Amino acid sequence: MLSEILIIVIRGIAIGSIFATIAMSFNIVHGATNIFNFAQGNMFILGGFAAYFLANQVGLGQWSLMLLLTGLGIAAVVAFQGYITLLPLRSSVEQDSWLISTVSVSVIVAALLMITQGPFAYSVQSVVPSFRILGTRTPGAYALAIAAMIFWFFALRFFLRKTFIGLAISALSQDFDAARAAGLPVRRLQLISFAISGLMVGTVGFLVAPVISVSPDAGLKYVLNGFVAAVVGGIGSNAGTLIGGPLVGVVAMLTAYKVGGAYQDLASLLVLVLILMFRPQGLFGRVGARRV
Amino acid sequence: MQTATSIQTGPVSMAETKPKGRFNSDLTQVWIGVALIAITGFGPVIAGNSYWIHTFQLVNIYIAAAIFQNMLFVDAGQKSFGQGAILGLAAYVAAILYGLHGWSFGGASMGGIVAAILGGLLFALPALRVQGFHLGFVTMSAAIVFPQLLVTLDKWTNGINGISVTVPALTNPVVFGMSPLAIAVAVFPMIALASHYLIRRSKLGRSMFVAALSPEAARSLGIKPGVMRFTAFVIASIGTGICGILYLPTVAFVSPQGFNIELSFVFFFAVVVGGRGQMLGPIIGIWIVYILPNILLAGFVEYRLLMYGCLTLLAVMAFPDGIVGSVERLRAKRKQTGGGEQAFRIDGFLADLQAGKTVREPSEEIAVEVRNGTKKFGEVVAVSAVDLKVRKGEVHGLIGANGSGKTSLLNVLSGLSRLNTGSFMINGVDATNMAADRIANMSLGRTFQAPRIFSQLSLWDNLKIGMDARVGPASADVTALAKAMEESFGQDSANLLSHGQRRLVEVMRTVLKEATIVLFDEPAAGLSQSERTNFANLVKFLSRQMGKTVILVEHDLDLVWGIADTITVLEQGRVVSSGKPDVVAKDPAVQHMFVGSRHA
Amino acid sequence: MLEVKNLVAGYGTIPVLREVSLTAKAGEILLIGGENGAGKSTLMRAIAGFNKPDSGEILLDGKAIGGQAPEKIAQSGLRLVLDGHRVFPELSVFDNLRMGAAARRGDRAGFNNAVEEIYSVFPILKEKQKLYARDLSGGQQQMLALGQAFIAQPKVLLCDEPSMGLAQALLPPILAFLRRWAQTGTAVVIVEQHLAVTAPYADRAMIIERGQVKFSCLASELDEKLNAPVAAE
Repeated sequence: MLSEILIIVIRGIAIGSIFATIAMSFNIVHGATNIFNFAQGNMFILGGFAAYFLANQVGLGQWSLMLLLTGLGIAAVVAFQGYITLLPLRSSVEQDSWLISTVSVSVIVAALLMITQGPFAYSVQSVVPSFRILGTRTPGAYALAIAAMIFWFFALRFFLRKTFIGLAISALSQDFDAARAAGLPVRRLQLISFAISGLMVGTVGFLVAPVISVSPDAGLKYVLNGFVAAVVGGIGSNAGTLIGGPLVGVVAMLTAYKVGGAYQDLASLLVLVLILMFRPQGLFGRVGARRV
Repeated sequence: MQTATSIQTGPVSMAETKPKGRFNSDLTQVWIGVALIAITGFGPVIAGNSYWIHTFQLVNIYIAAAIFQNMLFVDAGQKSFGQGAILGLAAYVAAILYGLHGWSFGGASMGGIVAAILGGLLFALPALRVQGFHLGFVTMSAAIVFPQLLVTLDKWTNGINGISVTVPALTNPVVFGMSPLAIAVAVFPMIALASHYLIRRSKLGRSMFVAALSPEAARSLGIKPGVMRFTAFVIASIGTGICGILYLPTVAFVSPQGFNIELSFVFFFAVVVGGRGQMLGPIIGIWIVYILPNILLAGFVEYRLLMYGCLTLLAVMAFPDGIVGSVERLRAKRKQTGGGEQAFRIDGFLADLQAGKTVREPSEEIAVEVRNGTKKFGEVVAVSAVDLKVRKGEVHGLIGANGSGKTSLLNVLSGLSRLNTGSFMINGVDATNMAADRIANMSLGRTFQAPRIFSQLSLWDNLKIGMDARVGPASADVTALAKAMEESFGQDSANLLSHGQRRLVEVMRTVLKEATIVLFDEPAAGLSQSERTNFANLVKFLSRQMGKTVILVEHDLDLVWGIADTITVLEQGRVVSSGKPDVVAKDPAVQHMFVGSRHA
Repeated sequence: MLEVKNLVAGYGTIPVLREVSLTAKAGEILLIGGENGAGKSTLMRAIAGFNKPDSGEILLDGKAIGGQAPEKIAQSGLRLVLDGHRVFPELSVFDNLRMGAAARRGDRAGFNNAVEEIYSVFPILKEKQKLYARDLSGGQQQMLALGQAFIAQPKVLLCDEPSMGLAQALLPPILAFLRRWAQTGTAVVIVEQHLAVTAPYADRAMIIERGQVKFSCLASELDEKLNAPVAAE
């Protein structure tokens, strides 16, 4: 009984940490641009695919190198996506084109994956061996997932508070007009925020490839749960994702164990609807923080 | 009897010499649409090719679904990525009832449509709280979850195996080699298109549109945005549900794989690529997004998702108006309708309104009263212990610096904001806790700092929404006025109007609404000197000739002093002075507001 | 130097400014006054690139900047301090100043000198340099906003209602700072409601009314021009 609860909690936190990282990647882009990049889920899967192709059953050295390259590669892809997403917004009145363009990019990426690889889920060998915690066998990738979440949380914290560019990106989300008046290079900063979000999901996707279903239609599940994690924590709050992500993960695991794995997404949907109906600003959300 | 002082500059124009084009090509598009649907509906039957018959039947069903998506997305402003799930819900429930439980097809269909409506209501609930991306996300998640549930609840749904269904009564040829189903599938999209057109031209359609574009303006016209959203979802659900019912005998098989998120994307992408909001848009959209990849390029079916995505991305970047929308834009540019910037000429109309009426002075009855009203936003006190008395038929000026609380007070009076303490009355009725639309229905009207003029509606329609908002029977005067305006401005565009003209349109909207109390929020901002003079005359006209009570929040002190019967001065949320203009002008507490000397 | 010629600008379809012209010369302070709603803020925002001009010219040292994005204009040397003492609330005082350097391609030493100068003029900022800007009072935030602009060493400084939300007593030190700043060669434009307090620090003055220039004169003459008896209608 207790061990079952422990398994649920541990796996829930592990999978939730993936959602948390995706949520943090949402936050940085949203803060700088007011855009939610719907394609994040598929970019995450791309990271997993890269692990399958570049680092399946290889030594630690090559694995690490491929990890870095994947991160940078997906950062570049997402930065490019950011560029084309922001382009119509420069002058147009139609301020919701980003919604459609991010959805189309997501569909395109999924389609490309499907075409080149077919619809089957691939399995990736883990570089970190599984280990025992409290009598249960836990895949090593779970530990990596949690480590990645913690790493990115602190890395972002440092970046956004100590480096000039990070401070500038943070300033964009605090007072957009004042940032422009101060001469901050807005477009460039926005592209950088896209790139960073790509770096985050690309590396995490690579790291957890062994435990996720690396298939072309898995992306939707991750963007859904990532979004719910962001909303629960409060859009814009990375500290919130640390709670929101694991929460969503535990709910998913609980549902999987108690009701059935196929109901996980339904559970996430219900969490989303409940939070939006009763506390739309989430746990730590700023209510109307932007002064525009 | 002297005619009203001129409200406008420039000569009253003679009849337009250029023949006016239609404001929008909606009706033309409907006819073209019907023709295209007839081609896809009847063409294959006439050609006698059963493959094409079958394929195009599905096309027509999708066209109908896309039409409802279009209506939901543009006319009602609701971003739903889950319409595919609604279609699937209806199809599956009907399949279960008919195929697994032996119900009659008619009964099963009813069941399916009821299920679709319930599904739509489930979408509508979050739509009350969130909009935009959040709503899109909720509906998208539902569309992802739906096929999963279909698989797991296999006890009821037969799971992955799906349900096979035949409905011979529908699929056997009856007349001209066409089965009832074929006829229904050919005709239903036409009905859908016609319904969309009729709804758009109805009061409901206009109200939904205004609620989508400006919930504030909608409230001030007595429209409840929440109700509009619900209604839109219900209508779309019924329509999409019928599509699901038609799907069943057409494909003769339902399975979870047939109703995944991709279907919802198809409808949405079709609307965007075709041209959102355009009548013909969904049809062209489906032709391009669905027919092209699925039928003409059938060998590349795995590429169809890729094609959807690329086409839509291309459309949103290069042709944001979609194909039909871009064509419509060119047409509208060439056939510029309306007389341009100063097209809204109303001197003549106002003279008619005034004919034979006596000038009315303000009475001593109180129209609007605020007692000890306080409004706080968190810690910030916007309005502090304010007392206000506005007499019937008077022009009451509310002045003060930015942040003095005058706009907050105005928002309280129109119901967009609630007092924390204190009360206020309208015509003796306690309105302190009334919702904005109820207050609007107590014959209050208001204008906004940025005039809420909707470019997608014709000039006359922009006025007509005022009439839509009227409570009770119309007075003879206003009916005549409306008729005259409709004749003059029915096909005109509101786009070219200058700002001052837009302001006028907003004011006349309240006249058509027969509002007896009108609130103006910084109406003179952006008006030229002569436009201000005309505006001042108009306000006097509303008050003296039409007996309306006018409350005016304004910065232009000359304007206010020129027309107000009473002036109230606010500073940091408090009333610092109130009374007749010449008295207030001399009040020392008010002096710092004037730059330079001021004549009383 | 800033030259504005026949500027017509507004918000969307709402015209606000009608053919406004002005010049701000290096080393001088131009005071712009007018009633609420006259268009003063709109003028500042239009010059700084927040509103696209409908017509007219805006020249910074002879180069046209009309229609450019605000951040580009700031990088070219024209800096607007927005009304409402807007700073980045979740950055520290020091980091706020750091952000000011974005509009100035960086020499490290220059930045440090500028910071020292701000600290000497507004010692309270030095005292609170590690605090988050949101924890400062309104007056201190205004000082910070000005400091942030100072770091950028712009050629032209636009200051929109620096006194708004401030205690009266805080205005003179701020004005004195602006005066010294102008004297180092910057063209300064101040939009203000409190003309009597501000005029002594300015060189020239201008009154905007309903989107148009009512008149302009020397700052010293402003008082008498405003109180001259109004001509009979």
